[in-house]
Amino acid sequence: MEFITTFLHTVIVYTTVYTLASVGILISGRAGIFNVAGEGIMLAAASAGFLVSFFSGNALLGFLAGALMGGIFGLILAFIHEKFKVNQFILGICLVIFGSGLSDLLYKLIIGVRLSAPMAPDTPAICIPFLSKIPIISGILNQDVIVYFMYAVTALSWWFFYKTKMGLETRAIGENPKAADVVGINVSRRRYLATIIGSALIGVSGAYLTIAITKTYSPDIAAGRGFMAVGIAIFASWKPHRAILGGFIFALIELIAFQLQMISYSIPYQFFLMLPFLSVIILMIIYKKNIEFPASVGNPYSRE
Amino acid sequence: MSNELLRCENICKTFGSVKALDDVNFVVQKGEIHGLLGENGAGKSTLMNILYGLYNPDKGKVFLSGKAITISSPLDSIKNKIGMVHQVSTLVPEFTALENIMLGSEGGSFSLPEAKVKKKILELSEEFGLAFPIDEKVKNLSAGVKQKIEIIRSLYGGANLLILDEPTTSLVESEFHQLLKSLKIFVEKGVTVIFITHKIKEVMEACNAVTVMRKGKIQSTVKGEDLGVESLVKLMFMEQDIEVNESALPKVTVPESKVSSEPVLELKGVCVPGTAEHHSLEDISFKIYGGEILGVAAVSGNGEKSIAECVVNPSIVDKGEMLVDGESICDDSILDVFDKGVFYTPEDRIHEGILNEGSVKENVLLGHHRRDKFLKNNLFVKWDEVSLAAKKVIKEFNVATPDENLSIRRLSGGNIQKTIMGRAFVSPLKLLVTHNPTSGLDISTVEFIFNKLVELRSQGSGVLFVNEDLDELMIVCDRIAVLHDGKLKGIFKRSEFDKYKIGLLMIGES
Amino acid sequence: MKDNKLINQILRGLLIYGSAVVLALGVTSIFVACLGYDVSDALSTLLTTSFKSSFGFSETIKKTIPLLFATYAFTIPFMIKFFNIGGWGQMLMGGCVTAAVGLSLASLGLPPVVMVPLLLVVGMLAGGCFALLAGFAKAKYDVNPIISTIMLNFVAYQFVNFIATSSLYKDPLEGHPITRYLPSSATLGFMGGVPVSIFLSLIVIVLVYLMMKKTKLGFEITAVGYNLKASKTYGIDFSKTIMLAFFIGGALAGLGGCLEVLNIHGRLIEGFAKTSGAQYGIFGILTSLVVAGNPLAAPIAAFFMSVLLVGADSLQRTMQIPVEVVFLSQAIIVMFVVIIRKRFGKGGI
Repeated sequence: MEFITTFLHTVIVYTTVYTLASVGILISGRAGIFNVAGEGIMLAAASAGFLVSFFSGNALLGFLAGALMGGIFGLILAFIHEKFKVNQFILGICLVIFGSGLSDLLYKLIIGVRLSAPMAPDTPAICIPFLSKIPIISGILNQDVIVYFMYAVTALSWWFFYKTKMGLETRAIGENPKAADVVGINVSRRRYLATIIGSALIGVSGAYLTIAITKTYSPDIAAGRGFMAVGIAIFASWKPHRAILGGFIFALIELIAFQLQMISYSIPYQFFLMLPFLSVIILMIIYKKNIEFPASVGNPYSRE
Repeated sequence: MSNELLRCENICKTFGSVKALDDVNFVVQKGEIHGLLGENGAGKSTLMNILYGLYNPDKGKVFLSGKAITISSPLDSIKNKIGMVHQVSTLVPEFTALENIMLGSEGGSFSLPEAKVKKKILELSEEFGLAFPIDEKVKNLSAGVKQKIEIIRSLYGGANLLILDEPTTSLVESEFHQLLKSLKIFVEKGVTVIFITHKIKEVMEACNAVTVMRKGKIQSTVKGEDLGVESLVKLMFMEQDIEVNESALPKVTVPESKVSSEPVLELKGVCVPGTAEHHSLEDISFKIYGGEILGVAAVSGNGEKSIAECVVNPSIVDKGEMLVDGESICDDSILDVFDKGVFYTPEDRIHEGILNEGSVKENVLLGHHRRDKFLKNNLFVKWDEVSLAAKKVIKEFNVATPDENLSIRRLSGGNIQKTIMGRAFVSPLKLLVTHNPTSGLDISTVEFIFNKLVELRSQGSGVLFVNEDLDELMIVCDRIAVLHDGKLKGIFKRSEFDKYKIGLLMIGES
Repeated sequence: MKDNKLINQILRGLLIYGSAVVLALGVTSIFVACLGYDVSDALSTLLTTSFKSSFGFSETIKKTIPLLFATYAFTIPFMIKFFNIGGWGQMLMGGCVTAAVGLSLASLGLPPVVMVPLLLVVGMLAGGCFALLAGFAKAKYDVNPIISTIMLNFVAYQFVNFIATSSLYKDPLEGHPITRYLPSSATLGFMGGVPVSIFLSLIVIVLVYLMMKKTKLGFEITAVGYNLKASKTYGIDFSKTIMLAFFIGGALAGLGGCLEVLNIHGRLIEGFAKTSGAQYGIFGILTSLVVAGNPLAAPIAAFFMSVLLVGADSLQRTMQIPVEVVFLSQAIIVMFVVIIRKRFGKGGI
């Protein structure tokens, strides 16, 4: 029981990483911006968030810095796309490269090489009375603030997209921007907003990796999770409530693979480490029939 | 003078180097159904898109009820109570009618006043006689119903000036008359209508004032007693060196031709399953003989595309028999069918017909790229041969281009269509399948293309001519097959052509 | 008329690439200045290291070859408007399968005339088939190739690690995951400091040109890239074309990885397909985007990119300027070039 609770606890921690990033990706996707830069944003935010939290001694400031860094990436993506109609995928790929370069550069310049790696301060946790004492459930609820933040973001974004007029309008932009434009909705402004907010969430997810999970920075810390988050957003048909499920499944796969590679001798461990990445492709093939895309995601919009 | 609702003064708009609107002055009185008439590319839609705030003019002013207004986005025009129904549906297919109308409606951003909006929609549709299923996803509705939704959406926003951009494109005769009735109700309720069309016949029936546009300029506005077919034809086609008949339709002489004894194409019980791309077809059987043009008349989205496509791409057919010259083509690929002497010009010339980044030469090769005549060792393309073929197309089809190396997107729509048509003639043809080859082209190009079809017919080839315009079909076809909801409703001989009867069959009534 | 067009084209090219070079130097200078280094020193190091010494030049050629293949890997699928981000993974597969097969066949004692061509084909097949997985997933199951190729990169990385640490191939004297040396019958040498694989690369450049411009397949790939719908309408098999494009791109990347193993290292080293701290795959994407996915311009662009990379290594060695500076400016430059092309070029991407 103890093992399951601890294991579940870790799974939820990684679910947070995946879910925040993929909700961030699907928010802009709903407005028609296909943000494939997730990996780059996570890396840059991981570095920036870690540095701020380390120097300020305040984990929350670190997450804020990560969100800010993500927001800046979102702004760049939205600006270049909206202004010059440059292909979103090309931009995304450039931003991935930019982000991965920036993350190492920031760390090298500010921290440099040290004998003992600097550690991030603790992230505040919230224990809900009674519930957090119950085994298994405590794995879900006895967590730090960012986990609760992730729960809230998922619920809020679902409410926003399906229960508010602004959410309906944002979804309309992703389906058919012209339809939104002719009824007086400012398509470009909404796309900016969605991309900046979405990227900020990806930034929080990146900062969570360094500040809360590893507590220290190392190069390429996102290790493909930013790309997998894009896969999860697609796999979830760009729906928040399915993204959290997708995030949970991938966290589970990652951790099970990690456990297995330590105990299995007959199969080389590398094959377990491939598993999360292969499962993205396999799940996308299996669930092909259930995957829906916003009809205009990835396409630029201009009137003329 | 106080009756004036809208006045546009000196509107200019250029796209790149093209002058779309040149010093346009345009006045609409309150309570009019004002026709805006002109050929495609005359600048009608551009002018209206400026009024609706989708384009910003380079120069010029707009006055509403005598007051100067600036319209820089659709939001401004909605505030000024201008509504517009666009030529291409601007609804979200995945949303219901209700959700579509809620977009941009008044009320808080963070709530969803479904009940309230629903009530108002029902009131409006009762008032204006425009009923539609409110909770159905728009993608499941027909073009006519979508149009109703868009009209109600404009009225929901409080529009008292309603712009209808080519509203009749996908309507048949009887639906058109329904629309006319609604227009009359609008006027009674104080809504002024601008009715954009390229068909003289329609403005004559619908409008009480007509402004004619030509090449980005206003020719003149006629109303009252002056409003007559003859004056409109003159205004529309002035300078153009063609004879135009009463209804401004292209004039083509169709001589007697010798019809072959055996059919070039025979379909027996062909079924196509419905998919996102193809409307289903059920049990389609017909024959086309050499020396004959068979027209297919259908309201857009009733399987006409499937009929055109299944003949060249048999892989979409799941039941039935298709024979070209008595040989089955059911297991053939597109290129196998082409090898049997069939060729195709698709409906959407820009998106399906051409390699828009390629040259004229590359475009002529497309579809013939596996023919021995253009290949060396079945591996290398003989570009010299392709150049020769392209030159021949340019010459025989009067394609206005300096040479065959020009990028095809620099050509006008008419010249692009001529290139596509010319490509079909590169190899000997037994059967040409052509879908809407003339949509949006000026009348002289339409005549040119029709003459080519008739020429082909005189040489003993068959033509399957799928077209959205019934008038045009009636000019060139020997027989017309009517299609509704994927089913064949009847085939008419030339002597039996009756526009009203065919129109009724097209919408599934008889 | 024709002359005018040519002059226009040249002017447009000059505008785009000229401004790219100016931007490249400008952005890098700003970075360097912000970090407090001497700008003129840094720029001259960046640009001239390749040409100052024969060592610099041979280093440049050594980087140009894999970079060229990585560029092709992105470019050829990009001609049909699909993104192959997996050039790196395909290179890794090409390299590690080559090494595994080469080591397994070592005992047979085959002569070089058999061994080398055989391994070249093995490398190409490994890379090609690996990329084909992504092409197949797209054609058959509509899986976005961006996602699938990236995922396959990570798979390939683990696979290299598996080969390099497996008891069959691992060099017991090395602490890192590195295999034993391939037999000398399998490896290629150097001529005046330049790897002989340069000749093979020149042949590949000509073949790629012929394939894209003169053959039926080249026309079909071009046509699908110009307009997918129209090419489908006129009988070009989309599934086949996309799978072939991915296969060819992957095969070229695989060849790149294979040549790294046969010519540069003589064995499989984990992390072999990297330069200046980042993957060749990424530099290949950047290089390809600079020339808008034009396969004919790829060799020149790859050479200039390598000059910058060699310069960047030298900056790190001599002036302690982190390589990431050059890395970052390259990403920025590519964004600028794409924007400039969109604004002033015809169409753009």
